[in-house]
Amino acid sequence: MGPLIPQGIITGQWDFVIALLIGTAFGFLLESSGFSSSRNIAGVFYGYNFVVLRVFFTAMIVAMVGLLYFNYLGWIELDMVFVLPTYLAPMILGGFIMGLGFVIGGFCPGTSYTACAIGKLDGFAFLGGFIIGVFIFAEAFPLFENFYYSGYMGNITIGEVFSVSNELVTFIFVIMAIVAFYVTWLIEKKVRKNRTESKFE
Amino acid sequence: MNKNYLFLAILMIILAGGLLILPERTNYTQINPEDLLWDIIQPSRYVTTDQVAKMLIEQDPTLELIDVRCAKEYDKFALPNAINIPLDSILSPNYSDYLGIEDMNAIFYCNDDILADQAWVIAKRMDISRIYIMKGGLNCWIKTIIQPTPPPETASGDEFDQYDFRKGASMYFTGASISAPKSDSKSQVTIKRKKKTKATAGGC
Amino acid sequence: MKKNSNINKGPRYINPYFGGVLLGLLLLATFYIAGRGLSASGAVKLSIVAIVDKIAPAHAEGNAYYDKFIPTDGSSPLFNWLIFGAIGTFFGGMLSGGIYGRLKKLRIEHSPNITGTTRMIAAVVGGMLFGIGSQFGRGCSSGAALSGTASLSFGGLLVMVFMFGIGYVFAYFFRKLWI
Repeated sequence: MGPLIPQGIITGQWDFVIALLIGTAFGFLLESSGFSSSRNIAGVFYGYNFVVLRVFFTAMIVAMVGLLYFNYLGWIELDMVFVLPTYLAPMILGGFIMGLGFVIGGFCPGTSYTACAIGKLDGFAFLGGFIIGVFIFAEAFPLFENFYYSGYMGNITIGEVFSVSNELVTFIFVIMAIVAFYVTWLIEKKVRKNRTESKFE
Repeated sequence: MNKNYLFLAILMIILAGGLLILPERTNYTQINPEDLLWDIIQPSRYVTTDQVAKMLIEQDPTLELIDVRCAKEYDKFALPNAINIPLDSILSPNYSDYLGIEDMNAIFYCNDDILADQAWVIAKRMDISRIYIMKGGLNCWIKTIIQPTPPPETASGDEFDQYDFRKGASMYFTGASISAPKSDSKSQVTIKRKKKTKATAGGC
Repeated sequence: MKKNSNINKGPRYINPYFGGVLLGLLLLATFYIAGRGLSASGAVKLSIVAIVDKIAPAHAEGNAYYDKFIPTDGSSPLFNWLIFGAIGTFFGGMLSGGIYGRLKKLRIEHSPNITGTTRMIAAVVGGMLFGIGSQFGRGCSSGAALSGTASLSFGGLLVMVFMFGIGYVFAYFFRKLWI
């Protein structure tokens, strides 16, 4: 059966309507979970609010487990699902720069859209900076074109890298996520004692 | 801590653990009847005995001959370097490494066409590509390669060329089969890694 | 659900685990329908490509990066799944903000220890870094870290680990911005 669009089951302009609907649901969930506030998001780095970690890891393990069950039941062809290709060094650098940007800016692109949507000027500032950043990258691209394509490993999965099954990888992720939920709950309780405010709007 | 969270955590672990203990997935995607028919009526799924003989003589590295008769018949006589996969055990995991090897052309044969054809359909169903059938099977092989009959005087030059080739091949195979013991050259077989088919283009 | 009923109770957000499960199911549905995950940064990239292509087509074609994303059939780069997804994200945020009473006039949210100007500068700098980093990382936190890792991509895992890891490493130096 799935995925529907790559298999040509849904065609024409319908995919844009679906994109719009999926985007709307995405924006709604980000905003209603509290991702439109940069101070909520940054709490993950200082221990007073772990909402980012909770939402992020829960979503990840649910999707992972679901995807593997769908594959098992033959509802989705895992080979046709887009597995992000791995470029070792550029992706490590990218993660590095984004980590820095995260702790300074307090948003990521998706959450900045929702911050803009409810009228936060810092969301607009972040988005503006983001546009400038992408523009700078594109203009300077010839300087590091070789680096950008270096370390290519193909559309490799985590299981293939560590030569274990992806089911085991998922199981380990689930366990790690649940341990993380518990530990951060303990940390949060401790940190919040010394704070008057830990949730922001 | 809220009891509900504990319940949810356990549920999640059970779901993830379920993935580990599920038996290997065997439900192949159903091939479309139209697609199967189209593939079946393609004459290109057959190779002639001459082509097989030529590939054997040239020691074509992509050639993988698969004998689908029972082991007894295989021991009595088989083509050089052929692997024996009896039709009734074609799905056995012992043989799964020999099917669908990347860059190899698997050619099924039996005494006639019937078993080979059935094996071909099964392999097709397992989504294995580059599979062929040796037309006419071993009966045809004996008739054309081992004991070729000379064409009539009025035949065209091509047929005489073919006859010359067959005579040469006959000598090659009958001579070689005495000197060289039937080799179990299964060592060059490499396990196929599943390749990505068409995936959608990148995200952001 | 009356607006501003949350003055005393603090902000009304849905339970993070509930939100996470819904987000995970949405991601799964996206995989099922589109064969790829959610994405946010791609829309900005394509918009920039479209603008540069409009203003200076020769320049866009000369640059290997712009050229990569200009459709060969002559259609606009804007006519893309990612753009519609981003528009949806914006309206989805607005919808949720409206329902929960957070859709208000323009304002700057910042820690009481810093001025609004500082916050704005930090946001721009953070955005710029994210802009550059997301292109190296082949996606941002939603495209690479979340969707990438959920589809079991090794690259997605790398981006996620380094993004959060580096965030923690540098958190101490930027604590004034937040606490």
